[in-house]
Amino acid sequence: MTTEKKLTGASLLFNVLEQHGVAHVFGYPGGAIMPIYDALYDSDVEHFLCRHEQGAAFSAVGYARASGKVGVCFATSGPGATNLITGLADALADSIPVVAITGQVATAAMGSDAFQEIDIFGLSLACTKHSFQVTDINDLASVLHQAFAIALEGRQGPVLVDIPKDIQITEVNGCLDELVNLQNKVKLPPANVGSAIALLNQAKQPILYVGGGVGMANAIDELRDFAKITGLPSVSTLKGLGAIDPEDKYYLGMLGMHGTKAANIAVQECDLLIAVGARFDDRVTGKLNEFAPNAKVIHFDIDTAEINKRRIVDASILGDLKVNLPALAIPLAIEAWKKVCLQMNEDFAWDYNHPGESIFAPAVLKEISDKMPENSCVTTDVGQHQMWAAQHMVFDDPSNFLTSAGMGTMGFGIPAAVGAQVSRPTDCIIAVSGDGSFMMNVQELSTIKRFQLPVKIVLIDNAKLGMVRQWQDLFFNGRLSETDLADNPDFIMLANAFDIKAQMITKKSEVSAAIEEMLEHDGPYLLQVKIDAQENVWPLVPPNTANDKMMEST
Amino acid sequence: MNNYQLMITADDKQVVLERILQVTRYRGFLISGMNAKVNTGTNVGTIELMVRSERPIELLVDQINKLIDIKEVKVDNSASQQCIA
Repeated sequence: MTTEKKLTGASLLFNVLEQHGVAHVFGYPGGAIMPIYDALYDSDVEHFLCRHEQGAAFSAVGYARASGKVGVCFATSGPGATNLITGLADALADSIPVVAITGQVATAAMGSDAFQEIDIFGLSLACTKHSFQVTDINDLASVLHQAFAIALEGRQGPVLVDIPKDIQITEVNGCLDELVNLQNKVKLPPANVGSAIALLNQAKQPILYVGGGVGMANAIDELRDFAKITGLPSVSTLKGLGAIDPEDKYYLGMLGMHGTKAANIAVQECDLLIAVGARFDDRVTGKLNEFAPNAKVIHFDIDTAEINKRRIVDASILGDLKVNLPALAIPLAIEAWKKVCLQMNEDFAWDYNHPGESIFAPAVLKEISDKMPENSCVTTDVGQHQMWAAQHMVFDDPSNFLTSAGMGTMGFGIPAAVGAQVSRPTDCIIAVSGDGSFMMNVQELSTIKRFQLPVKIVLIDNAKLGMVRQWQDLFFNGRLSETDLADNPDFIMLANAFDIKAQMITKKSEVSAAIEEMLEHDGPYLLQVKIDAQENVWPLVPPNTANDKMMEST
Repeated sequence: MNNYQLMITADDKQVVLERILQVTRYRGFLISGMNAKVNTGTNVGTIELMVRSERPIELLVDQINKLIDIKEVKVDNSASQQCIA
């Protein structure tokens, strides 16, 4: 529908955003995006000023992951745009639908090394699902519609739209095109259901290997029905956590480098691996040619390029999990194997007995998990605390556990929590961070303050880059190189500077009361948990090693 | 090391050639030759790409096919060959 009313490109942008139901955006203004920020002034879209464009990108990612909607972020040209890149790369690695809008110098100045000019369109090729640069005002509405459609269709991902300043101020007829509904351009071959059913029926020791694609496909119910009807024991990737019903007694936990012993042994011993929305990532498989060595493989995915990429499969089921999982949900006669898995779950259960008075981070995270309100959403940064959260916290939906899985980006947790809190204002949002990661986007405490977001931050503090220190101890002969953070700031004083209530605990006896105080506090809160610097994450599968050859202690 | 020849048809959109070249390099294929007709005003771009790799060509075909503007990717078997590196 084209109207007679003239709009600037900047105003048209907000019309299209509102047409797509965008209520919130995250961003940071600057010279080349000023017309858009001027149009924001008259828009109903609520803008959340972050304190760094990377924070804006991660907040958009957190918003998308917590809500299932497209996350939107703004940045100006040059450094504003380059600061978005890490967030976009993170969104690409974890298949998160984000639309990033960047201002660009005027078209006449492009290519002249103008002030704050960078070829963000060129830079975007490796870190987005797709990107556009608008050089004709008449293309703007169509491009924006396509950006939202591409971000959401098939395997989701980030899309960047670069808009030169002159395009932002040029007038055009108000254009509210029909929403683009892209057909899946890759014609998927018919699902190989017959051979997959035969494999299922032949299997004696099958395992269901659940990835992040299940949550992205909104196929949680279908997966749980599939697990229930087949009776399959299951394992999860980091990004898949929450997809399987946590009450399922045949669920063995996370697999891979820091997976549970039960999960890794079961996968190594299985004779059929049913991968669902998972991609055989190197952190999952360990030594690839020794991963599930006796297993045939059925692979469900929406992305053709994931089939046979790292593991040759015996049957591929391409397409929508909501359709394909029910098609293969048949009861299986695997009672003996289920008993073995059940026994492994008992034999290798976590042990929270920990000698001494120093705080045991896994026990703290388990207690928070037990006490946090229903439908709480936990974000993490990257490192030891991330793996402890994945191991010891329980999630009933992937949208309740937001962690940088594929890219492993330190600095993700706080801005992702900002985005999650904006999208779910009444839910409890908890950012679990480490002292290394926390400092990477610490400026976003200001965003928390500005919008009075009641985010709870659990700062696991060992005054180290703990995971790197662990690897230096284990695999680099204890030569500790640049991993000591003894000169960290006073985190309590730092939080207080942003009007965030904070408490530090150092002893086990303080843990329970501190958790309760944090969860009962109305506003933002930082709980600094001092732990022993020598604590390691166990189990650990050493690099280039089969997953059943895990280390369980030094 | 294998030599392959790809015949790619694409919507003739912005930077489609750069996208193909970026994906080809990133996925572990050396470009040994190219013949491209893009920005011709016909809305269809055609690219013949000669590549070398130890990796199966299907990996690259699938990744190029994922690019939004790609219409078709074919491997020209008559022009592809295995060579002793």
